[in-house]
Amino acid sequence: MEMNRINGQNHVTLLDGGMGTMLQQAGLPLGVLPESWNITHPEAVTGIHRRYVEAGSRVIYANTFGANPFKTAGSGFELEELISAGIRCAKEAAGSKTQVALDVGPLGRLMEPLGSLSFEEAYDAFRRILTAGEAAGADRVIFETMSDLQEMRAAVLAAKENTALPVWATMTFEASGRTFLGVTVPAMALTLSGLGVEALGFNCSLGPAELMPLLRELREWTDLPLILKPNAGLPDPVTGAYPLMPGDFAALMENAPSLGVRYMGGCCGTDPAFIRELAKKRAGVEPGADRPSRRYGICSARAVAETGRVRIIGERINPTGKKRMQQALRDNDLDYILSFGIQQQDAGADILDVNVGLPGVDERGMMIRVIQGLQAATDLPLQIDSSDPAVVEAGLRIACGKCLVNSVNGKKESLEAILPLCKKYGAAVVGLCLDEQGIPETWEGRMAIARRIAEAADRVGIPRQDVYIDCLTLTVSAQQSQAAETLKALSCAKKELGVQTVLGVSNISFGLPERQQINLSFLTQALYAGLDCPIMNPNQNAMRKAVAAFRVLSGEDAGADRYIQLCAAMPDVPPAAAAAPVPAESKTGENAAQAAGGSSLQEAVIRGQGSEVVRLTEAALSQKTEMEVIEQELIPALNEVGDRYERQTIFLPQLLRAAQAASAGFEVLKARLAAQDRPALSRGKILIATVQGDIHDIGKNIVRVVLENYGYTVLDLGKDVPPEEIVETALREKVPLVGLSALMTTTLPAMEKTIRMLREAQVPSKVMVGGAVLTEEYAREIGADYYARDAKRGADIAREVMSSLAGNGEPKE
Amino acid sequence: MEVRLDRISRPEALRYLGLRGAVPGDVDEDLDRCEALLLRTIRPRVTWRRFDLLPDGTLSGTAFRPEGESIRVLLRGCTGAILMAATLGAEADLLLHRTQGKNLLDAALLDALCNAAIEDVCDALCADLAREFAPAFLTPRFSPGYGDFPLSQQPLFAAVLDLPRQLGITLTESWLMTPQKSVTALMGVSDTAPASQQGGGCTACSFSDRCLYRKKGTGCARS
Repeated sequence: MEMNRINGQNHVTLLDGGMGTMLQQAGLPLGVLPESWNITHPEAVTGIHRRYVEAGSRVIYANTFGANPFKTAGSGFELEELISAGIRCAKEAAGSKTQVALDVGPLGRLMEPLGSLSFEEAYDAFRRILTAGEAAGADRVIFETMSDLQEMRAAVLAAKENTALPVWATMTFEASGRTFLGVTVPAMALTLSGLGVEALGFNCSLGPAELMPLLRELREWTDLPLILKPNAGLPDPVTGAYPLMPGDFAALMENAPSLGVRYMGGCCGTDPAFIRELAKKRAGVEPGADRPSRRYGICSARAVAETGRVRIIGERINPTGKKRMQQALRDNDLDYILSFGIQQQDAGADILDVNVGLPGVDERGMMIRVIQGLQAATDLPLQIDSSDPAVVEAGLRIACGKCLVNSVNGKKESLEAILPLCKKYGAAVVGLCLDEQGIPETWEGRMAIARRIAEAADRVGIPRQDVYIDCLTLTVSAQQSQAAETLKALSCAKKELGVQTVLGVSNISFGLPERQQINLSFLTQALYAGLDCPIMNPNQNAMRKAVAAFRVLSGEDAGADRYIQLCAAMPDVPPAAAAAPVPAESKTGENAAQAAGGSSLQEAVIRGQGSEVVRLTEAALSQKTEMEVIEQELIPALNEVGDRYERQTIFLPQLLRAAQAASAGFEVLKARLAAQDRPALSRGKILIATVQGDIHDIGKNIVRVVLENYGYTVLDLGKDVPPEEIVETALREKVPLVGLSALMTTTLPAMEKTIRMLREAQVPSKVMVGGAVLTEEYAREIGADYYARDAKRGADIAREVMSSLAGNGEPKE
Repeated sequence: MEVRLDRISRPEALRYLGLRGAVPGDVDEDLDRCEALLLRTIRPRVTWRRFDLLPDGTLSGTAFRPEGESIRVLLRGCTGAILMAATLGAEADLLLHRTQGKNLLDAALLDALCNAAIEDVCDALCADLAREFAPAFLTPRFSPGYGDFPLSQQPLFAAVLDLPRQLGITLTESWLMTPQKSVTALMGVSDTAPASQQGGGCTACSFSDRCLYRKKGTGCARS
């Protein structure tokens, strides 16, 4: 409101220019916390602000960019004190016509999954900063120079939930159109517009000329006013000097208002002279007539599923009717669940549905873990699928990007619980055409519910482009007339309501032979009726090709390029070829395998032939029990591989190839047991972790796969794990063996501390340690029971520990 | 600044994989495939700055005084110092993370290739800098965490080189860099040829009596 009074709607408001370089000119040495000058040199800081105000800045950014709990720790200053002094310095210069923004930069810690800062930790840090800034009297907050969209989300949510400060948000892009962390411009626009920021845009990294194309792209994806604060060009790599003069800079910025920019200033390399030039040029500027057509969609941080073309929603992360998936959910076997995300992405899915609801499983916790895992493992936008609003909210909170929520329906209770959540987190929503009376039998009845849902969405401020109506597929063998009603409702909803449409297609064919024929035909008809998002299994080639064919006929797949590529990658296999033997995956070790004299299954493991191992494991199960297959086939093969590795006749690559092949065999056994509702096999539990402070985990992950191959249940706590968590888990899970890894000399003390705490807590587990810098001698010195120089030795140690347990008569898992 | 990397030193990658002698043909093919994938994916970036050395060892215009005996030996006779940093970017970390979920063998090969690649990027930068500063001489590069150059000085590297903004590098609580495939290093600038290969080899390293790499006989990347 205040801004409007200053601006009027069609004015450009000037921001300030660089602060860091101005402070250095004033004598701040590099490496000293710039915010400390708010307290030690307030007159210098206020002086810089004053020069900007005199040059024409009407919003100035306080010197609080790096004032966060991580950067100020150990500086000798309190965070709150630095922030309030920073706001005070700016206010002193601002006068009555200029506003002061609390300036908040990145926290300087990488967030999960690539880093270790959690969403909650980031949120709490921002909350501290924001409440201090608001208390000090900031007029608004600007989050700037962000390159991680998830960090920006934590910041914006912290502002919205804890303060009344209006929020501006700018991110830093490279010329490639992505941030350092791969965030795209549409992803930023969709996500931040959805979260309700007041204005958004770019700062730093590039000059005005390089930012113009990105600005044009940004404008297509948001209606919000845009912010532009470029550097003074690209710095000279040798001198670090910025090339643009104030006049050139202002000339390059002249076009920005016509592209929707309402707030502009400068970043690195700019000073008050630049703002003065901007003020001169700004006179007479008529902002923004050439509005491009708006684009919509949902997104992750790195990819958008845009409206206006067919998008496949992959349906496979859902336990309904899938026993192995149910088992994985009960066992917290994330790798198995995530593999369905990866497979569907590879098979051409545009969006992943995530449903993890199963009695006896903590759905909320599981939803959070699976979403985090999927967003690390794939780029796809997500559809959060749950009937529990608390689970939906937990998912929306943690998911980076703009999600689709599955689902709301025509019931008052559902609309009231779900729509406000979608609005708050900026999500799109699936609306099911059913209500208190059930599913209407006529297309008109379903349309009435669709209309009611769309209007309810209007009322909370969700645009029609973010409403995805599901007219519901019923089984044609039971209610034959319903297929036509569904399609008619779909086509009508699309035309009359201006919404997106979504439909699960495979339900249609229950109870009929050759179901795929019915599914294909229904899918094709639905696409022509206006279906935007089929919910389906993209791993079924015929279904996927049907969508590809539609994209050719609709003109979306220009030149049929993608269709041709798909057909080349995935030819229809004639029956004769399908019966041919599986091709060998590896050419190594054939002679060696024969020399081993083992069974053909063992040979296949030794050669690392995954699909052959799968086939032979299935065959072996007609003669042997699952445990016999493990003990008589897989483990002897792995032992042989391990021996050769020790003799150095094979090396790490071949060892890993064999380990992966054995994993494929284990998966056959697990699926079989789950299908028969029999308990999973385990030769004992082992806890492994990379110690606190260390983030190198590939060695530990190799050990995990090898141990799993030997039939052990591995509890992998991940990397950078606090000793307390290791002690607590070891006690709770009663693991006989704990494996710790550390790569750096600097993190060895953390390993030592973990072992000491395990001993102090009288955890009865044996401890093995491994990592590049460790030696047998050092392992003993820090109190470990075993030193595992490689994964093979780790497996030997596990066998020794578990068999000594069995010898003592303790029960096996 | 982005730099181009056209190929990755294969012997170095093989060393990280612990492969000695003849490399099996299919491993070589896998390495070719992974190398191509990696070069397509990563966008290596570097940054550096030159500083005068003040009499007390501080870098001019900064609050950074590199600590330790290793650095004192390295900078003997030098009038200036260069701070450099290089990274393969978050693209490399993401690729490694994702590959571990799909194919552990490829992940191990990619990890080794990344280690070799970041060394290649640093070598290329150092060669460029040697040309840039000729006829002055540059010492070998020396990184925090080696010898007794404390890792606790990483925040100063980050602040002085503005690493979050320039390269997207941030530090963990224990001063490790993310993205993981990143290097920071210091070089001395001297007007006279260095008397010995300062900084190079275990004998010059003041940490050698305590060094675990040395005890294992594997040596660190600097030896």
